[in-house]
Amino acid sequence: MIHFTLITTIIGFMLAVQFQTIRQPVVRDTRDIWELRKDLKQEQELQHRLLLEIRDYEEKLHSYEKKQSTSKETVLQETVNELKQEAGLTEAKGAGLVLTIEPFYPDNYVGPITETVSPELLKRLVNELNMYGAKEIAIANERIINTTAIRDVNGVTKVNNRKLTSLPIEVKVIADDVQSLYSHLQVSNILDDFIIENLQLTVSKPMSTVILPPYEGQVRVKYMKAVKAEKEEN
Amino acid sequence: MWLPLIGLIVGLVLGLLTDLRVPDEYSNYLSIAVLAAFDTLIGGIRAHLQNSYDESVFISGFFFNIILAASLAFLGVHLGVDLYLAAVFAFGVRLFQNIAVIRRIWLTKWMERRQKSEKN
Repeated sequence: MIHFTLITTIIGFMLAVQFQTIRQPVVRDTRDIWELRKDLKQEQELQHRLLLEIRDYEEKLHSYEKKQSTSKETVLQETVNELKQEAGLTEAKGAGLVLTIEPFYPDNYVGPITETVSPELLKRLVNELNMYGAKEIAIANERIINTTAIRDVNGVTKVNNRKLTSLPIEVKVIADDVQSLYSHLQVSNILDDFIIENLQLTVSKPMSTVILPPYEGQVRVKYMKAVKAEKEEN
Repeated sequence: MWLPLIGLIVGLVLGLLTDLRVPDEYSNYLSIAVLAAFDTLIGGIRAHLQNSYDESVFISGFFFNIILAASLAFLGVHLGVDLYLAAVFAFGVRLFQNIAVIRRIWLTKWMERRQKSEKN
């Protein structure tokens, strides 16, 4: 009998739980217009209070920001921004050149048609540009940073792990001394190297503003660690 | 005789008082578990009336059936087949059979008692 009782208790419990789960709470809204108005007023007051709170917090935030701008952190923030700029994580703007790579075929040309630029040629171009004092380079809107890989993946040239767009390709360069870069490029062998691969490299006249996109990937720092200062300097 | 009924009521009251709710997606499992529990209970009553009641069989059957039914429903959900219907069907059929057997036993008992009273 004890066991029966135990089992029936469990069944009762389960039934009650199931019953409560199934039963939807049916609460009809029976408020009349005056009660509704009262509730509405209450809610409006609540909203007003919340808005006041938000304003208060915003003011606080503002004051904190003001304080921050005069503190040590600003200097650090500036440094971080500078480093980001150097690493190529920000948009770069400045005087520079735009080089255009286009397919080039002589009139009597018979042979394979190149649809992409080989990574070797691109690397050579980047080296050449760096040699002549280029500060920032972007190939087909892919910013070249220190760890950029230009490589061939199954016949497709990839820069920063992204496929190059089809020809023509624009290479944007920013330099401190644009005129010297321009002159160097004019007499450089690199134009001939492009012609050999049936590509024509056109160098634009020096421009006052060239805009380079930021590097979009994640920069992985594998072999560097932050040094923990033993004593905090004040 | 009254103890199981009291137990049932106690369980119901307990369940209602605790205000426990099962999430909607699990209510299926609970309903099938309730069905399995009912099946075992009715089976136990029938066995009791037929004098073939075994405590260990009853207790183990109770928990085993519940778990089996719930896991069948679970499997059904994951296979995309309404397998819990199989459990519902099996338990439902057994429930009706057992209730029919109980009814017949009670009926014969009642008839016997009436005949006895008529003789007296």
